Amino acid sequence: MTAGSASDRVDVLVIGAGAAGAAVAWRLASSGIRVVCLEQGDWVEPRAYPHWRDDWELHRHTDWSAEPNVRRLAQDYPVNDAASPISPLMFNAVGGSTIHWSAHFPRFRPSDFRVKSLDGVADDWPIDYGTLEPYFDLNDRMMGVAGMTGDPAYPPKSTRQTPPIPLDTLGVTMARGFDRLGWHWWPSDSAILTRDYDGRRACVNCGPCDLGCPIGAKASTDVTYWPKAIKAGARLVTRARVREVTLGPDGLVDGAIYYDRDGRERRQPASAVVLAANGIGTPRLLLNSRSPRFPDGLANRSGQVGRYLMFHPYAIVRGVFDEPLGGYRGPIGCSIISQEFYETDVSRGFVRGYSFQVARGLTPIASATGGSIGDRVAWGRGHRRAYDERFDRTITVAVIGEDLPEAHNRVDLDTALADTNGIPAPRVTYTLSENSRRMLDHGIARAREALAAAGARAVAVNPLLRPGGWHLMGTARMGRDPATSVIDAEGRCHDVPNLYVVDGSTMVTCAGVNPTSTIQAVALYIADGMIRRRA
Amino acid sequence: MSASPLAARRDLLALVLDSLVPAGDGFPAGSVALEHVLAMAAASPDVASMFERALQAIDDATGGFARLGADERERALGRVEEAHGAPFDALVRHTYDGYYSHPAVLGRLGLEPGPVQPRGHRIESAELPDLGRVVARGPLYRPA
Repeated sequence: MTAGSASDRVDVLVIGAGAAGAAVAWRLASSGIRVVCLEQGDWVEPRAYPHWRDDWELHRHTDWSAEPNVRRLAQDYPVNDAASPISPLMFNAVGGSTIHWSAHFPRFRPSDFRVKSLDGVADDWPIDYGTLEPYFDLNDRMMGVAGMTGDPAYPPKSTRQTPPIPLDTLGVTMARGFDRLGWHWWPSDSAILTRDYDGRRACVNCGPCDLGCPIGAKASTDVTYWPKAIKAGARLVTRARVREVTLGPDGLVDGAIYYDRDGRERRQPASAVVLAANGIGTPRLLLNSRSPRFPDGLANRSGQVGRYLMFHPYAIVRGVFDEPLGGYRGPIGCSIISQEFYETDVSRGFVRGYSFQVARGLTPIASATGGSIGDRVAWGRGHRRAYDERFDRTITVAVIGEDLPEAHNRVDLDTALADTNGIPAPRVTYTLSENSRRMLDHGIARAREALAAAGARAVAVNPLLRPGGWHLMGTARMGRDPATSVIDAEGRCHDVPNLYVVDGSTMVTCAGVNPTSTIQAVALYIADGMIRRRA
Repeated sequence: MSASPLAARRDLLALVLDSLVPAGDGFPAGSVALEHVLAMAAASPDVASMFERALQAIDDATGGFARLGADERERALGRVEEAHGAPFDALVRHTYDGYYSHPAVLGRLGLEPGPVQPRGHRIESAELPDLGRVVARGPLYRPA
């Protein structure tokens, strides 16, 4: 092993260069703190994206799949998800999973932080919306958000950086459906620029944001936070796969051991460590960091590391219309959102609620193979007609439900599976709760109504999307009680006060919206606490 | 080096692809996806094995697919799909992948063939529908 010398020692080691790690690295470095970040992936060069190739859509199910078990790149690690009806999705690169995300960017709502008090389920967060509000705003400025203020589903927000993404015929059609029912809808807050902003270009509506954005209009953190973090002095080491976080004789963490791009074992000493490796990577790393003091994994005296895994279970409801909708153009995951059924109404048969995320239509291949529903168009002499009835005539409504934290849903280590460096891989065990199932069923029925009101002549449903584990949350959760949580209200591990967690693992509850805006706001809030205590 | 078993049966494969997606309305037949299907098989022994199983099943079911007329071919493929669902489904899906990424097909769909960057798509600017109704409902969130 190449040992890190005293001169290599940094103030803070950040592990993971995705949504949260980038935000923290920038914030800390901008305050004069010496930061190094270890990232197991690499930079993605703009020309490497498939968008520049004729066969761009074919890559969605091969080397640009969001599923690491499908993609199997050298920088990926396998995940045993055999005991889960939802497959975890992630990307390992500078920018992390923001390379692949659709950049739908809603915030959590105030009630999302007070679930126990308001609805008697799960737990309250030890922080609230008001505490995070300035960090939401700061993060919006850093990422660049398209949208419009005035949404009555939220407390007033600051001015969005650019106008909303175009609704196009598809979005307008669906909005009319919601209007006919008297339901809430609003143009999505999207971390996608519709005007040039902060040195970045506006979106050209090419469509497949889920394969990355080769022009930097979508806010992946390799084009938002990282250039600024590096300018502020942060050092980013790529193709650096961390094996374990190490503990000093004083019971504090003192760095990490990692493998560099040539497979050499190295050590990075640090005065504090920040974990930002996502809701599966972070518990995996903690559980792999064993010592006599922590035989069951670092910061895991409570046995809570890896528990309370939450996904957002997705149901997909797709309407077919008679007229062309232009659904192959524009940001694929965003047009409008409805939060009509977001807050608890126990008469519905479940607690908490969900959002409708109205996405674009199906791209040419997905129209044939059925996309996220998988109902491929019939082959044979009826094919041509069946295809034409579907292509450019669909609207996809995703029902994104709030999953409640349950201790038996968890990440632990697989006893046989390992990555290319021999580091034990994570195993995911997850069961969809009865509350989530009832919630999704309610959402499916309401989505059918909304699509019918918008003019759909047929509807197809996937009641639970398997490759839908975009949001990995809750596995090192925040709380005041060391017996039932892993980190405190400042992001510090109860057991090891110079070890921080800032990614989706921190989340106490997961709300009924996409989490990245909130994950980053929490990360910035934790970073400011670190700065304050250092001052 | 000898050709792969699948490449050696490319004539049969092309006929099958043409039956899966018959030509019509100015669209080419499915065999425009032939090179893609062969490339997928060449890249993955698992995929190649699936395709070979599908072709073998077609052979076994027909005793000579090329001899059959269009109706008989379609009925034969239906029987194969029923009896050998997984390999047949793999062949259909890879055919669709190759077919709907082919420039001739995309052009016929009214799309500009080729990469989506740098050209992107033009979206005509449209006024937002009136949100006055939504706003008039007042706050929908619970203060906490």
